[in-house]
Amino acid sequence: METLKVYILIANRFYNDGIRSALGLAVENHYGYPVVMNGEFPQMSEYMAENIAWIADMEGEVLSCGADAPTDLPEGVEMTNISLQDLGERMREADVIIPYGLLKQTNEPPPACAE
Amino acid sequence: MKILQVYRSEPNDDVKTLVEILNRDRDADEFKLFSDDPDYDVLVEKIFAADKTVCWW
Amino acid sequence: MAGDPNKLAIFVTSPQNMTHVIGLAEATVKAGKKPMIFFTYKSVHLTKDARFKALADLCGQDDIAICADSYTCEGYDSANDIPDGLSASQMRTQAFHGALLDECGKYIVL
Repeated sequence: METLKVYILIANRFYNDGIRSALGLAVENHYGYPVVMNGEFPQMSEYMAENIAWIADMEGEVLSCGADAPTDLPEGVEMTNISLQDLGERMREADVIIPYGLLKQTNEPPPACAE
Repeated sequence: MKILQVYRSEPNDDVKTLVEILNRDRDADEFKLFSDDPDYDVLVEKIFAADKTVCWW
Repeated sequence: MAGDPNKLAIFVTSPQNMTHVIGLAEATVKAGKKPMIFFTYKSVHLTKDARFKALADLCGQDDIAICADSYTCEGYDSANDIPDGLSASQMRTQAFHGALLDECGKYIVL
């Protein structure tokens, strides 16, 4: 079975389920690289923190592009900052590129769904 | 390497930058899904002719 | 991708591309190729589209599935409300996405 390098680009806060999708591919022996674009970081639940840590354990990496990753991430959770240019260069080596879900929203989320 | 860039909406600046890097020194093609009445037969033809397809938001 | 060069993986992550999913699947079959489709996360709402059953029939049981966890996360009952056109065996995990990557020579996200 071929091992593939898969980049999952997450541009919308509602779609950081893309991180779970990357973990699913890591379990299938692919390299999963979720990329959080423009500061659309996930709520760092215990579940999300575990997913991110597992991706790293399985030789994947969670990247942050367009905004620096938070500095107060839970222990064992790492995100690597990357510029748009460097992301493009890295993705030249990708087997699959997945722009996941929807684009970033124009308006800030209302309190009803902000958390 | 033949690469096909498919757009579901008008590409923003980030997408344009990434596409420019991905297409560099490659045989690149594109297809606009957001145009009126896209021809899916043509899209299938292009996908199967390409080594890789990226379908942007 | 080293899978079947005549098979197209369609990985659906957005809930607003049903027309494209159907158009592409039908055109793939018309061209003598085979589509293989996986719906995940919020795209599982598309299973409630009136056109979904025909799409499922077009693909066949082995080549279309949805993420059961996503379906549950979105509020549906993955035990008693299996989408029209699917059977319980097509309520899958992210491993089906892995199968798409292994089995298909071509790949697109919608």
